[in-house]
Amino acid sequence: MMNKTQAISTPSPVFGVDASSTGTTRYRVVAAWHALAPVLVFVSMLLIVGLLNSNYLKPLGISIVTASAAPILMVALGQAMVLNIGSIDLSNAAISMVGAILVALWLPAMGVTSIPLVLAVTVIIGMLNGAIMAFTQVPSFALTLGTLGLLQTAALVTSDSQTIYVSENREVVTALYNTKFLYAPTTFWIGVLVALAYWALLRFTRLGQGMTAIGKNERAATLSAVPTNWIKIVTFAISGFSGGLAGLAIVAQAGSASASGLGSNLLLPGIAAALVGGTSISGGQTNPINVIFGALTVAFVPIAIQAMGFGAEAQSLVYGLFIITVVALTTTRVRGTIIK
Amino acid sequence: MTDVHAPVLRLTNVSRSFGPVKALNNVSLEIHRGEVLGLVGENGAGKSTLLKILAGIEKPDSGTIEMNGAEVKFRGPADARAAGVGVVHQEQSLFTNLTIAENIEQHSLAETGLSRVGIQQWSRLNRETQKVLDMIGAKLDPNAKVSDISFIDRQMVEIARAVCIDPGTGKTPLVILDEPTAVLEQQETEILEREIRKLKEFASVIFVSHRLDEILRICDRVVVMRRGSLSSDRPTKGVTKAELFSAMVENQTDAAPHTRTRPAEISRPVVKVSKLSRRGEYEDISFEVFPGQILALVGSSKSGRESLARTLFGAETHDSGAIEINGETVSRWSILKAAQAGIAYVPAERKVEGIIGGFSSTRNIALTNPGEGALGPFLRPRAMARVARRWFDRLDVRPGDISLPLGQFSGGNQQKVVMAKWLNAPNLKLLILDHPLRGLDVGASATVNAQIRAACKAGAGVILIPDTIEEALEMADDIIVMRDGLRSAAHDLHRNQSLGIQDILADMV
Repeated sequence: MMNKTQAISTPSPVFGVDASSTGTTRYRVVAAWHALAPVLVFVSMLLIVGLLNSNYLKPLGISIVTASAAPILMVALGQAMVLNIGSIDLSNAAISMVGAILVALWLPAMGVTSIPLVLAVTVIIGMLNGAIMAFTQVPSFALTLGTLGLLQTAALVTSDSQTIYVSENREVVTALYNTKFLYAPTTFWIGVLVALAYWALLRFTRLGQGMTAIGKNERAATLSAVPTNWIKIVTFAISGFSGGLAGLAIVAQAGSASASGLGSNLLLPGIAAALVGGTSISGGQTNPINVIFGALTVAFVPIAIQAMGFGAEAQSLVYGLFIITVVALTTTRVRGTIIK
Repeated sequence: MTDVHAPVLRLTNVSRSFGPVKALNNVSLEIHRGEVLGLVGENGAGKSTLLKILAGIEKPDSGTIEMNGAEVKFRGPADARAAGVGVVHQEQSLFTNLTIAENIEQHSLAETGLSRVGIQQWSRLNRETQKVLDMIGAKLDPNAKVSDISFIDRQMVEIARAVCIDPGTGKTPLVILDEPTAVLEQQETEILEREIRKLKEFASVIFVSHRLDEILRICDRVVVMRRGSLSSDRPTKGVTKAELFSAMVENQTDAAPHTRTRPAEISRPVVKVSKLSRRGEYEDISFEVFPGQILALVGSSKSGRESLARTLFGAETHDSGAIEINGETVSRWSILKAAQAGIAYVPAERKVEGIIGGFSSTRNIALTNPGEGALGPFLRPRAMARVARRWFDRLDVRPGDISLPLGQFSGGNQQKVVMAKWLNAPNLKLLILDHPLRGLDVGASATVNAQIRAACKAGAGVILIPDTIEEALEMADDIIVMRDGLRSAAHDLHRNQSLGIQDILADMV
C-alpha cells in the first residue's frame, strides 16, 4: 500500500514519527544508563572505599560484605518481583523470620527434609497474601502491613519468645554459610542463582512478561487477556519463597533463630536494595541481576561509612543521604513516567 | 502595542526537529481575527508539534511567532496562556472532582484576584464564570461538579477555559481545538459546530480534525500538513474532499468503496445474544453474528452499546439473558474464557486499555497472541521479533522500530499494533471493535478497515461500534440502532441499499 522500504531499515530517519516526548536516541541513552547504573554505583563505591582502606577489598572484607548481603539479596529479589507488578510486600521480612524459626525448630528432628517443608510453608503464606489481594482488592500495602503483624506474632509464639538454637543437624545449614566460593558464602551464591532464575523468568516466559505488563498498565493487561489474578498470586508466592530462602540464610549464618535476632530488620534494607537495583516503586520496571548489586551496595554502605571515618552517631544520617542519592542515580526517569 | 489590523497569529519559518526527524520544516502561517482555520494532515504530519509550539509546550528550533503584531517567545504553557492561546486537548484535561467555576478559573485565580490569600470568594468566582459561560453561549451551572456533567458539556467547559483570558488587554483569544469531535457523537458534534460559529464573533479558532467534511463545513480556511510542511493553504470555498485528501497523502491510497456480498449463513452463529440485560446500561437485547458478518451497533453515548460490547468480551457482567458463543451457552463468562474462545476486543480508550505503553510492540503483540513467539510457557525472543516484523510490514507501522516502546508511537500506529495483537490469534472467531478509528487519519483508517475486512474474509464475525454513521454504512452488513439501552431499530444493508444517515439518526434520538 505505502512504501515498504522504510519499514525494513531500522534506525532510518523516518518521517511520521510522533516525536512528541522523547527522541529515540535519548530513550536509548536513558535505557542504557538505567541498565548499568546499579553496577557502576557499586563499583565506584568499592573503588572509593578501597582507596581509603584497602583492607576492605581483601578476602575477609569480601566475605563479610557478601555474607551480610545474602539475606538482604533474597528478600530484595522477592520485593523486586512484587514491586514489578506494582504492589509491595511489607510482610516478606516477617516471612523470612518465621521461616528461620521453623528451620531451627524442625531441623533437629527432620534433617534436610525440613528445608523444602519450610520453603513450602513460606510459599503458601505468600500465595495467601496474593490471593487475598487479588480477590478482595485490598491494596497490597495495607494487606501486607496486616500480615506483617500476624507473622510477627506467629514468630513470637512459635519460638516462645526465645532464641532457638539448632541443637542437632546444625551442620546441614551452617555448611551453606561456611562453604565459601571465591570468598563468598554459598548462601550469597544461591541468591545470585535465584536472581538469574528470576531474570530469566521475567525475560523468557509468558508469566514474567505478564507480571511486567501488570506493573506497567494493569487495565490494559487485563483487557489483553493476561490472567492478572493468577499472576499476582504467583508473584506473592515468589516473594514468600524468597523470604523462606532468606530465613534459611539467617539460620545458616547464626546457627539459631529468634523473633528479634539476626535478620529481624530485613524489610527496609530489602526495599532499599530493590530500589538501588533500579526497581521502580510504581511498577513495571526491575532487573533482578541489578538487584544483586543493589543488595551488595546496601550491605556495603555501613562498612563504607565506617571506612570513611564517620562516627557512630552520623551513620544513620549518611546512610539515609546515601540511599536517596543512589536511588536518584539508578531510577529510570523516562519523561512522563509517574513517580509515586 | 496591540495592532488591530495585525493578524492574531503569524508564524514565520518555524522549524522543529527531534533527532533526525524534521517534525516541522519552515512553517509560515497567519490567522486573522474571527477566522476559523482548519488544520488537517495524517498522523505524524507535524500537527501535534505545531500545536505544542503554539501552546508553549515545545520550543521552535528556529523561526518567529508573532501574536497581535508583537513577537512572542513562550517559555512555558503559562506564557502562551497569557498571550491568549487556549488549547482544548484531544483528551479532556479537566479536574472532574472540582466545579465548573473552579476548572475555568483555576488558571487565572491568582492574577484576577478571585481568591484572597488563597481563600476562594465563591460568589465572585461563580459570577465571573457565568460571564464566560454566557459569552460562549453555554447553559451550565458554574457550581456543578465536572464529574456530573455530560461529555459535550465538559468540552464546553474546556472551551470556556480556553477563551477565559483577561478581557482588559484587548487581545483576541486564539482557541485551538485539537480533534474535539473525535470522541463526540453525531448530535454532540452539531452542538460543537454551533459553538465554533459563536466563537468567531470574538476569537480566532484553529480546528484540527481527521474528518474532512467537518473541516469543509466549519472552517473558513484550511491548511494541509504533510511531512512537517504546509502542502496546501487556501480558503475552504470550492475545495473538495478529494483535493484535501491528495494534499495529505503521498500517493492516492486505495479508498475503494465497500462492495458488499452477504456472507452465507450456512454455519452456526459465532455469537448469539438473547434478551441480554444489564441494569442501567442495556435491556432485552437479542441478535446473532455469523462468520464473515459485520454488525454495527449505532447509538449515542448513553445507548449502552459500549457496555454490551464489553459484556460479550467478559469485561462486564450481565444481569439476565443468555450469551451463546460458538453454539454453547456461557456461564461465569470472563475475559480469559472469551480470549480462549477466539474473541478479540479493541477498546476505545487506546492508551489506558489498549496498549502497554512502556512495552515494545513486540511484547505488546506477544502478550496476547504470541503465536510462534512462544513455546508453551516460554517466549522465543527471535520468533517474537519475526512476528512483530511481519505485522509491521503488513500494516505499514511507522516508525518501523519494533523494539521502541509503543507509547511513543502516534495514535494511528498504536491502533495498528492493537489490531495486530488480536489478529495474530490462531482461532479468531469474533472481533469486537469499540471506536476502532477514533483519532486515526485517513491512511491508518484505511489500513484498519482493510484488516477488519480481511478478518471477515477469513471467517471471523465482527461487532463494530463506529464513530460515525457513515462508517457503519461503509463497513457493516447489518446495523442495530440502540437508544437508551434499548434496541430501537435494525437494518439489513443488503436488502436496503438506499439507507441514509437521516434514517438512522431518527432512531437514535
